[in-house]
Amino acid sequence: MDKRDPFRHNVLTSGHRACSGCGEAMAARMVSDLIGPDAIYINATGCLQVFTTHNQQSAWQAPWIHSVFANAAAVASGIEAALRISGKETPVVVQAGDGGTFDIGLQCLSGMIERGHDILFVCYDNEAYMNTGVQRSSSTPHAVRTSTSPPGRLSQGKHQLKKDVISIMAAHHMPYAATATVAYFPDLKAKVEKAMGIKGPRFLQVLSPCPLGWVHDSALSVTVSRLAVETGLFPLVELEHGELTGVMRLAEQRPVDEYLRPQGRFKHLFNSKNGAIELRHLQALADARIRRYGLLDAETEWDTDRAMQSERHGRGGYCERRSHGS
Amino acid sequence: MAAKLEIEPGSSNAYHTGEWRTQQPVYQNKWPPCSQICPASEDIQAWLALASAEQWQAAWHKLTERNPFPATMGRICYHACESACNRKHLDSAVNIHAMERYLGDMAIAQGWRHRSFCDDAQPERVAIVGAGPAGLSCAFQLARHGYSVTIFDDQAEAGGTLHSAIPDYRLPKSVLANEIDAILALGIELRLNSRIGEAVSESDLLDQYDAVFLAIGTQQPRLNPYNNGAEKARSNHSVMSGLEFLHRLNRGEELEIPRQVAVVGGGNTAMDVARCVRRLGAEVTVICAQDPHGTHHHELGTEMPASLTEVVEAEAEGVQLIYRAGVHRLVRSGDHLSGIEIAHVDRVHDRHGNFNPILFDGTEEFVAAELVIFAIGQESDWRGLEVLQKTTEADGVWVGGDAVSKSKLAAAAVGSGYRAAMSMMARLKGDAVIPDEHKKRKITYREMQLHYYAKQPRLEGEMNPERLDGFKEVVKGLVDDDSARHEAKRCLSCGVCFECDNCWHFCPDAAVIKIAGGYRIDYDYCKGCGICAEECPCGHIDMGNVS
Repeated sequence: MDKRDPFRHNVLTSGHRACSGCGEAMAARMVSDLIGPDAIYINATGCLQVFTTHNQQSAWQAPWIHSVFANAAAVASGIEAALRISGKETPVVVQAGDGGTFDIGLQCLSGMIERGHDILFVCYDNEAYMNTGVQRSSSTPHAVRTSTSPPGRLSQGKHQLKKDVISIMAAHHMPYAATATVAYFPDLKAKVEKAMGIKGPRFLQVLSPCPLGWVHDSALSVTVSRLAVETGLFPLVELEHGELTGVMRLAEQRPVDEYLRPQGRFKHLFNSKNGAIELRHLQALADARIRRYGLLDAETEWDTDRAMQSERHGRGGYCERRSHGS
Repeated sequence: MAAKLEIEPGSSNAYHTGEWRTQQPVYQNKWPPCSQICPASEDIQAWLALASAEQWQAAWHKLTERNPFPATMGRICYHACESACNRKHLDSAVNIHAMERYLGDMAIAQGWRHRSFCDDAQPERVAIVGAGPAGLSCAFQLARHGYSVTIFDDQAEAGGTLHSAIPDYRLPKSVLANEIDAILALGIELRLNSRIGEAVSESDLLDQYDAVFLAIGTQQPRLNPYNNGAEKARSNHSVMSGLEFLHRLNRGEELEIPRQVAVVGGGNTAMDVARCVRRLGAEVTVICAQDPHGTHHHELGTEMPASLTEVVEAEAEGVQLIYRAGVHRLVRSGDHLSGIEIAHVDRVHDRHGNFNPILFDGTEEFVAAELVIFAIGQESDWRGLEVLQKTTEADGVWVGGDAVSKSKLAAAAVGSGYRAAMSMMARLKGDAVIPDEHKKRKITYREMQLHYYAKQPRLEGEMNPERLDGFKEVVKGLVDDDSARHEAKRCLSCGVCFECDNCWHFCPDAAVIKIAGGYRIDYDYCKGCGICAEECPCGHIDMGNVS
């Protein structure tokens, strides 16, 4: 067991094989440390499963099981039912990528919610099939270059739009569905803690930048995820029983250019006439999402500035200080 | 026998991803710009951090490590620290001088005592000539390290220029006296009215003491160009030097000032003189050879040397300023001065950098004045110190303060006293001079992530509404602990970790370990992605080559 850190369990410990600067590893470490080691983690196939359990070496310091791509929610449903029958209250958490959520795992997920299992389903959304070589998924945003949506004479990257999965989840009238991202740890922490306090199916979509697939500097993972929110392209929202109950207000709306420029997957848009149209399209998409969720004028507890503020001695971490050597 | 799996799972900790690294983060304290520019090298960030935690006394101790005059400097220093403050790129600079004053005033009110570093007395004795900020600062450092110190001063009061030339509306005498008393309480012997060459001879000084620090300041006004021959004889009541004027005022003399006064000079002394003259009820015009602030971008010698706040406050009090003008001649009818003739100044300094203005013919104007005060600089008075003047540090004699300083700032004098004390102690102990631990890499706002900080308004000390009624203090301090804490919390802590947890939260590899009082990087696993350095608000983390 890794007990290096007296202030954190490190449920997802060091030595995993994620790429340098991986947003998904960051998000999974945050989420699993907020939930703690006393939970059962079910992992769909995907980057997270591949890089955390390599060559018989597991990076998980908690009970963890790998399912196939499609059935993580179904496996979790069975585990949850067995725990319920044996009278145990161990939390059950599913972790899946956008492939295991938006595409391949969608029907099992829908069934899990419909049956009302007491499970938190976390989707680490890095917007493509990254570990198999950056193929498009239904989560890939419009106009993105992937290996299966290459830009060229007739194409400016992916033709279709990003699937609005949070609305699909909310349409199940599930108790809690929310979006979050790594750049705003206090917000992510509040959402995980809220989700863990609710009984029934819960869903969390965490935007997780991928330096490899998004083609940005590995140091910029947090910056890019912050800009996704500040431009309005990735609204941070909470939906309870289908109703919008919370949004992160934007202190200032940034132009989408600021988000797109550091990322190589949008590079083709910046040197062509057709690309310029798509840039305007992406800006219009951001504007539409801002209008839809009222991101500029919603009355909220905090906004993107206040959620970021650094304070001396931090703003609270994962758990109480552990005693050494326990 | 328990069933054994053919392949037993292990922990990924066995695999050291640190081997992938091509660059690596390093925690590195930087030197914030405020401290970089502070002539007294105060560790401003450190004492503001303590003040933000309401550890007021600890903050005062930290501050006085370098500067035993916080209440004084908080009032009179021109706070270059605030012009350098990185926070001005976010909203506005931290009000450092008000914080310094707040701590200094609190120390006086609470009667806090300076701490001594060692209980054992050192055998060596040190003599200091001049009880101004440089001399007292040097004595303070030496006494705290156990040396026996004697200060000689030819004046009747300690404080040097701080006492004799700073008007009461900027620095009440009681504030200075309290801070000097706290320094002397460390066991420093002060001998007033003791001019070297009269009370004690130069050779006695060299023989009886192991080291001497000359901090004689600049008490000799630079001669005005009309100080010769016939003019000198009749100019007693109509021409004066700024220093003489301030000395007499500070001694409590009742000065008879005519209705109209001209002050020649563009420095802070000229501003002090002009504002005092206003308080005595006269109209005053300042003749300044340079251009006003903001006309040139720090081109040396083209803008007036006085501090901008002084100029703004002087103008608010009704002081008239005439820029780019020099005195052509004094206009007299008989012995009575009726005014001065000024002319446009073309070039201020000659090519050797000396003050040598060229006046253009045909641009003359008349400024009515019955008294003209020249505040055009001052020099050291080396009379009686001819032998010591020729000695060096090798002979055990150090020189500091305004006598050798270009800026002539009180804070610079304090800093030079500190450095002299350190160098003396190193010499007396036979060590090499300890390099100043404060000299670290500077940090600019570009290396910081300002979006991690909240915008917060700057709090100011209030202005006294009855400021021209006598010599009452013009600026009041911060009102209470809450405002002081608010202002201290505005410090960005440039380049110095304030434990915000960003690196710890954001490391995808759990390679940042939080420990009591900070963090450490586990290089076995750090992949060198650079996120911690990118997201560090204060620029504390550097990315370097793999060692």
